Amino acid sequence: MRIGIFICHCGHNIKSTVDIEGLKGHFREMVNIACVEDYPFMCSEPGQALIKSSIERLGLDRVIIAACTKTLHQDMFKNLVRDAGLNPFLLRRVSIREHCSWTGEDKDKNTKKAMRLIRAGIYSSAHYEPLEEKQVEVNKSALILGGGISGMSAAAFLARAGMDVYLVEKEDELGGHVRRVGDVWPIRERGRDIIEGMVKELKTLDNVHIFTSSRLVSFGGSFGNYEAVIKTKDGEISITAGGVIVAIGFTAFDPSVKPELQYGVDKRVVTTLEFEENMDDLPLKEGSRVAILHCIGSRDDTIGRPYCSRICCINAIKTGEKIKNHIKDSYVESFYMDVRSHPRGGEEFYEDTQEKGVLFTRANISEVIPEERGVILRGEDTLLGMAFEREFDLVILSVGMSPSKDNHEIASLLKITLDKDRFFLEAHPKLRPYDTALKGIFIAGTCSGPKDMEESINHGRASAVKLYGLLNLGYAFIEPFVAYVDPKRCSGCRMCEQACVAKAIKFDDNLHIVKVEEAACMGCGLCNATCPSSAIALRGYKDTMIDDEISALTEAV
Amino acid sequence: MAESIKNKNIEIVGFACSYCSFKASEMAGSLRMKYPEGVKLIEVPCSSRVDPAFIIKALIEGADGVFVAGCHPGDCHFIKGNYYTRRKIAALKEMFNAFSIDGRLRLFWVSASEARRFVDKVTDMYNNIKEKKK
Repeated sequence: MRIGIFICHCGHNIKSTVDIEGLKGHFREMVNIACVEDYPFMCSEPGQALIKSSIERLGLDRVIIAACTKTLHQDMFKNLVRDAGLNPFLLRRVSIREHCSWTGEDKDKNTKKAMRLIRAGIYSSAHYEPLEEKQVEVNKSALILGGGISGMSAAAFLARAGMDVYLVEKEDELGGHVRRVGDVWPIRERGRDIIEGMVKELKTLDNVHIFTSSRLVSFGGSFGNYEAVIKTKDGEISITAGGVIVAIGFTAFDPSVKPELQYGVDKRVVTTLEFEENMDDLPLKEGSRVAILHCIGSRDDTIGRPYCSRICCINAIKTGEKIKNHIKDSYVESFYMDVRSHPRGGEEFYEDTQEKGVLFTRANISEVIPEERGVILRGEDTLLGMAFEREFDLVILSVGMSPSKDNHEIASLLKITLDKDRFFLEAHPKLRPYDTALKGIFIAGTCSGPKDMEESINHGRASAVKLYGLLNLGYAFIEPFVAYVDPKRCSGCRMCEQACVAKAIKFDDNLHIVKVEEAACMGCGLCNATCPSSAIALRGYKDTMIDDEISALTEAV
Repeated sequence: MAESIKNKNIEIVGFACSYCSFKASEMAGSLRMKYPEGVKLIEVPCSSRVDPAFIIKALIEGADGVFVAGCHPGDCHFIKGNYYTRRKIAALKEMFNAFSIDGRLRLFWVSASEARRFVDKVTDMYNNIKEKKK
């Protein structure tokens, strides 16, 4: 056997807490090791070239890549190994980053752990066998959860590309939050008009099926053939879709979580969204004094929202400008922590608004006190370092984005992951910002963190393109990790047949043994653990592989 | 000799299902959560893949503890693999109980998003075994 070990530094991520040279020295001593190489980034082009040339030059028959976890870059490494002329199932990834260098601080202990993990990879890979991926048909259709601007953008792209689209929205009309925005900056159009235009377009496309007032109630299947049940007004509908895009958006932060703001207690305290919807109903008249508070429900650790919501500064500036434009002699003061007017043209807009007379004060607001004559703001001017108290007629809270309340339910139905702030987690923050850990399930828009409209639309379209790329061919390859029977060992006791959830095991009356229907096998390995004579085994996770991994993890280093 | 046993690091072998618990462990790593180095994982497609023989083998070969981590009941990617696991582990624990080593085997459910729970569970098990070894 000729084993090649490739150890990645991942910049400093692995190198700083694992002794790479120590690892190299250790594995060079082992038998059957043809080479031990290290490189700062194995996923980079030179790193890939190093692996490829080593396979070709040394005729490696096992490749162990000790780097990040196998969810990342797996397809790339597999293709690389395949290009070098080796069966990709003879590749073993060992996670020494997510499961070692990042979880422990002691370099000595980490190095020992990495040694054992890599050994486990070597020992079990000795039992690997060349396998071929199975080709399966995929359903050229998409289930899109959430009919906001992001979901609709994705739906329009996929439908025009000729795919069947099932668009599911929990509210009774499409459009999400954008529908409520009275004035979209910087184009100065009504959100409702933008949405109506998009809805009209979707309705002209025959292959878009829109379900409003509907929810996802159950979800199963696998990539290419996901099965979903949608509960609509008229009962439950079953759908088979090749892929899923989750675009369920956000929930606007509810300021009543912070009682000192008096939101919901006093009518003169409103949110930016309420202001957008009905400016005319608010107590504004000539000479009104208006306060705008930034960062409500953002950058606030005390309420578990440490992140910046990205849109509320522009919203606050826009609100101030609008009052200044419409209400004669109004006094508008905006209380901020930092002004982050980052979209294109945002900084200029901020300056223009200041020139129009909106006052920006860097402050922490400690409380809002409603009195009959007006609402009193008490706080500290953080530039002057002085406490102040000022009276206003109206207080507008620039609220941030909170994760949708449905995130937990959708995450557990789809078995995808939420991050620490309870937004959906992407597979990789830089390289795979649209993907989830599950193939064919993508995230789009604000459900994966605060975004403005432009970003949400782009996110939706990008997810749509990625999904289209996966499904377009009409077939896909899936991993060949299915069970198989050794006819010489099978005694025909049929215990595996009873255990098999997928009903993939059939008894052969003539031969008096069982056989596996590969297409139906889900690859859980329950039969393998059930068989008393080790006659049935799961490819990729055979008894010998796991046994040797156990040995590697428990033996002394 | 006694001293060296006392100072020996605690070694725990964990079987984690690839759909939930292993994902949680990946996330725990990504979020830079810390847990004892003695905890090492073997990825299995489903917790039901874990043959009780693996657990016994790990203990015989020197592991101080073994855990099996799967999806929460009802969440199994393979529909009901984790129910089989629950029954198997319960039977095995009954047997371990006779030898007073049932504390060295644990079964817990961790979903893909519960990185914190994963870390808490493994750390608690580690500390518990360490305490008993003193």
